[in-house]
This record gives sequence, C-alpha cells and structure tokens, in this order.
Amino acid sequence: MSYTLTINGEPHEVDAAPETPLLWVLRDHLGMTGTKYGCGIAQCGACTVHIDGQALRSCNLPVDAVAGADIRTIEGLDQDGEHVLQKLWVEMNVAQCGYCQSGMLMAAARLLEDNPDPSDRDIDLRIDNICRCGTYPRVREAIHRAAEIMRG
Amino acid sequence: MKTFRILLVALIVVIVVGWWYVTRIPSSPFDGVAQAPTFTLEEGEYVARAADCVACHSTEDGKPFAGGLEMGTPLGSIFATNITPDPVHGIGNYTLAQFDNAVRRGVLPDGTRIYPAMPYPSYAKLTDEDVAKLYDYFMHHVEPVAEPIPESDIPWPLSIRWPLEAWNVAFYRSGTYQPDPAQDDLWNRGAYLVQGAGHCGSCHTPRGFAIQERGYDEGDAAFLTGGLLDGWYAPPLRNGAVSGLGNWSEDEIAAFLRTGRNRHGVVFGSMMEAFNNSTAFMTDDDLQGIARYLASLPGESSNWEYDASTTDMLLAGDFAEGSGAEIYLQRCSYCHGRDGLGRGEFLPPLAGAASAVAPHADSAINLVLNGAGRVVSGGVPDSYRMPPFRIPLNDREIAEVLTFIRSAWGNDASAVTAEQVADLRERTDPMSDRVIVLQMR
Ligand code: FES
Ligand code: FES
Repeated sequence: MSYTLTINGEPHEVDAAPETPLLWVLRDHLGMTGTKYGCGIAQCGACTVHIDGQALRSCNLPVDAVAGADIRTIEGLDQDGEHVLQKLWVEMNVAQCGYCQSGMLMAAARLLEDNPDPSDRDIDLRIDNICRCGTYPRVREAIHRAAEIMRG
Repeated sequence: MKTFRILLVALIVVIVVGWWYVTRIPSSPFDGVAQAPTFTLEEGEYVARAADCVACHSTEDGKPFAGGLEMGTPLGSIFATNITPDPVHGIGNYTLAQFDNAVRRGVLPDGTRIYPAMPYPSYAKLTDEDVAKLYDYFMHHVEPVAEPIPESDIPWPLSIRWPLEAWNVAFYRSGTYQPDPAQDDLWNRGAYLVQGAGHCGSCHTPRGFAIQERGYDEGDAAFLTGGLLDGWYAPPLRNGAVSGLGNWSEDEIAAFLRTGRNRHGVVFGSMMEAFNNSTAFMTDDDLQGIARYLASLPGESSNWEYDASTTDMLLAGDFAEGSGAEIYLQRCSYCHGRDGLGRGEFLPPLAGAASAVAPHADSAINLVLNGAGRVVSGGVPDSYRMPPFRIPLNDREIAEVLTFIRSAWGNDASAVTAEQVADLRERTDPMSDRVIVLQMR
C-alpha cells in the first residue's frame, strides 16, 4: 500500500504493508532514527511521537491507522534542536545513556502543551516512559524548570 | 420361589443383553468394504484441517498426530492417542469401518468406549465421504510414529469404560448431517462444518452436569450460547449484538476465520490455536458458509451504546491515583486507545467488545495475565500481540483495570475481584499444582 504521511509538517510518500508499525516506517523507510525502539509492545515509551496532538507509542501504531494524521517526531520538536526542553536537557545533564530520552522529550513536550504547571503527580502520570538509567528525578526537575521558563 | 426364579432369569437376561449392548461393536456403513477408496493428499488433509485433529492428537514438541497430549476429565487425566498409521501404537491396522466407529461413534475396534473428550458426538455428523477421506489421509499421507502414549492416571474402578455407553444413550445422537431444504447450499455447508468437523460447540456451547454439550445444532436453545472451559470463556457465536456476532457482517466473520482478525477483534486463547491449525486453511467458500450459518442463529439483544464520557475522563486525567483508569491509561491505552476503539483491524477495540462484556471475565483475566500467543496468518506471524502482565501488575491492579474496562465506554459488565485474578494466576502457572489440564483444544 502506498501512503502519504504528514510528518513534522512535510508530506512523505511511503510504500508499506498496512500493518507496518509507524516506528518502522519512520526508522527504516524514512531514515528518521531519532525515534527509538525499546520494547516493541507499547510499554517503555522510547518510540513516543505525537499523533494529532497526543503523545503515543509508534511501535504499536499500524501505519494504516495514522495515514492522514498530523505526526510529529523528535526531529520536528524544534528545527535546530533548540526547544526549551532540549536546551534544559543539556544544561541540567538529564540524559545518562540517552536511549530513552527522545521519547521522554516528546512526552514532556506534550505534557507542557496541555498543562503549563504540572504537579509531580501530573508528571508521573503522563511521563510513564521507562529509563533504564533511572534519570527520573532529573527528568522531573527539568520539566518543572521548563514550565517556569515557558510561563515566563 | 417361582417369582424369584423368574426375577433371576430376567436379571440374567438384562445383564447379558446389557453387557452385549455396552460392549458391542456398532455397525458402520463401511462394514464389509474390502477396498477403502483413495483420495488425493489435499482432499484428506482438508477434512483433517477442518476437524482440527492435530490440536489434540499432537503435543507442542511431538511429531504430528503421535498423540500424548494430557487432557483433563472429571475422573482424572487421559492422553490423546497416537493416530498415525503405526500398526502397534497407532491406527495402522484399523479397517475403514473400525476407523469410522472410532471417529463417528466413539468405539474402538475391541469395543472399548472412547471418552467424549474426543468430539465424536460432533463428528457423528460427518458424511461417509469425509470419513473415507480422513481415513485415506491418516493411512497414506501421515508418517507412522512408533511411540506409545502415557497411561491414563484414572484409577480402577473409575477407569472402566463400558459405563460410557450409558452416557451415549443419554446424549449421543447418531446420524450424519441432514441438509435443511429451507436453507441455501451455503448455509447448509456452513451448518455442516460448524456442527460436524469444526466441532465449534466443544468450546462455545455450555456443558451440562455430565460435561455433555447442551445442544448439538440450531434446534437446541443452548447451542453456541457460550461456554466456560479451561480458564477461557468462549463467547456466544449467535447473532446477539455485543455478546456475540450481532455486530459482525458475514464478510467480517469470514475474515476473522481467514486472517485471524477483523475490526471487532483478534483471535486469542484456544481460538488462536483453532485459527492457526484449522480455519486459516479453509477455503473462502467454506468460511462464507460458516459465516452465513452463524449469522442466522438468533441471539440476545443489547442496548449498548458508545459512551464518550470515559474518553473525556481519561484525557482530562480525572481519576484517582492507582485506579483502574490510571492503569488503563498507562498500560493499555497506547494500543487500545483512550477512546477504547483500538486501531482498525490490527489492535482490537474494547468498547462494546464481546470479550470486554462477557458474563465471565475469565478470558479477559487470562489474557491480561498471560498475554496472547502468536497468530500466524498466511505464514506470517502477527505484528501486534498482547503482552503478558503477570509480572508488572499484581492481582489488585489487574482486577481494577478490568473492572474499569468492563464498565467503560458504555460497557456494562460485572466487576472483577482480586481473588478471581489470584485464582487464575495460580491455575495458569505451570509450576502450580493446581494448573489447568486442558479439557478441550
Ligand atoms: S518501543 Fe514503543 S513503547 Fe517501547
Ligand atoms: S538515559 Fe539511559 S535509558 Fe534513559
């Protein structure tokens, strides 16, 4: 099947079986490897992308179900990698190995768009990504800091 | 004294006639047939697929049809037999008539009665031609395997077989399938497959006190109204909206049996095995026939209507910490959707799904604990599979999330308790001494 996917505002043509997970379309068909593969069963969040304004797990999204959706990946979070969260992530040394972090960033970005002043509980609820390195406290701190900056 | 003598004679007559009856070899239309007809490999294999013989007569690591699968009965465990053409351990010496008696009548060549774990009450409906095809297939196209099966652990005197003939008198109905002239050919073909080879009722018809199926065709009200067996609840296959197939079109029923999925659901549990071994190999015409027949069975009506307030609540994060809704959001929603509608035909919906509103939550609990097996369609394993939550979620959490799902989006099914989950957790743990021994596959 051929699909036209809107990713980070740009149309992309892909030819894939309808059940192909979006994650593989992104990584293998389009070479957008910023989105990571962790578990493949929608439990870890390494593959988080935005679909029509929701942070979802691309490893369990059949491409057929997202044709026509507005898809945003880590590559499109900010053109120059200068999103507030990305800058803070560097400044506050959030990442350890970094593998889970593009998913963390996508989930965090979405949370802040929905909720400019998240509590710890809001963060725990929405950032349910798994980090093998245990960076959770730094992720939480950086999100609070970003919220402050974004509120101005 | 005279009356006593008469009574004694009468008693002896009853015993002799009774003994003859319970051990006699029934007659078969193939009696005296010296030369069994031959067929192509494909013709015989197709009937064996439709009857799903391999499901019970093989073990996971064993050779095809060599038997050995442990099966539970109320009396103890029995083992499915070796039905390869090995003359010692298998059925290599069977004549066609003897084979027929085993398959359609439940009687071995020496007169021993077979436990009705073997669905011979369903196979009774097979045509003579299909029995002959099966015989040819097993005799000429299956590799003989010279391996014995384990001994049954049923103790004497419970292991005596002739009383099973009393079960036959009560529940067994002889006679091959008789087409209903009021219905079209497609319907009749479907009815034949469902009631006969397919033995769908083995799981989908509720069982009575003697584990008999409470109905063997559409004339019985309980036929295919859903059954609880081996830790799975097989839903009704009747035309009831939500509870059964009422919202499925005939094409969707056929697609489910052909590819293992449609927009309403995906095969899992025992049905996954029935799909992988049987329905996936059936022709489109036969599957359409099955669909036509099932769609014609009247079922329960339902006033289920999609209720979006659950979706809004999930999106707003408007629920208590540790609640079923929270667990759903974090563990389930990425696949089944915050709207409970799944993703097309690849990830099944939970809103208004038969599995989510079943009167018994056993299938849902089992599936959450143990995940789904591999669905193989067209030789390709599925891309999306329910993972097991046995380790990540405890009994209370599984009960909470299932209670939530069973009452979300308009679903209106009973709550699930942590005790129910604990029970199935133990009975599906291979290390447990309470592990379920399958009665049917
Ligand atoms: S890779 Fe998608 S959630 Fe883990
Ligand atoms: S930083 Fe290593 S997995 Fe999260």
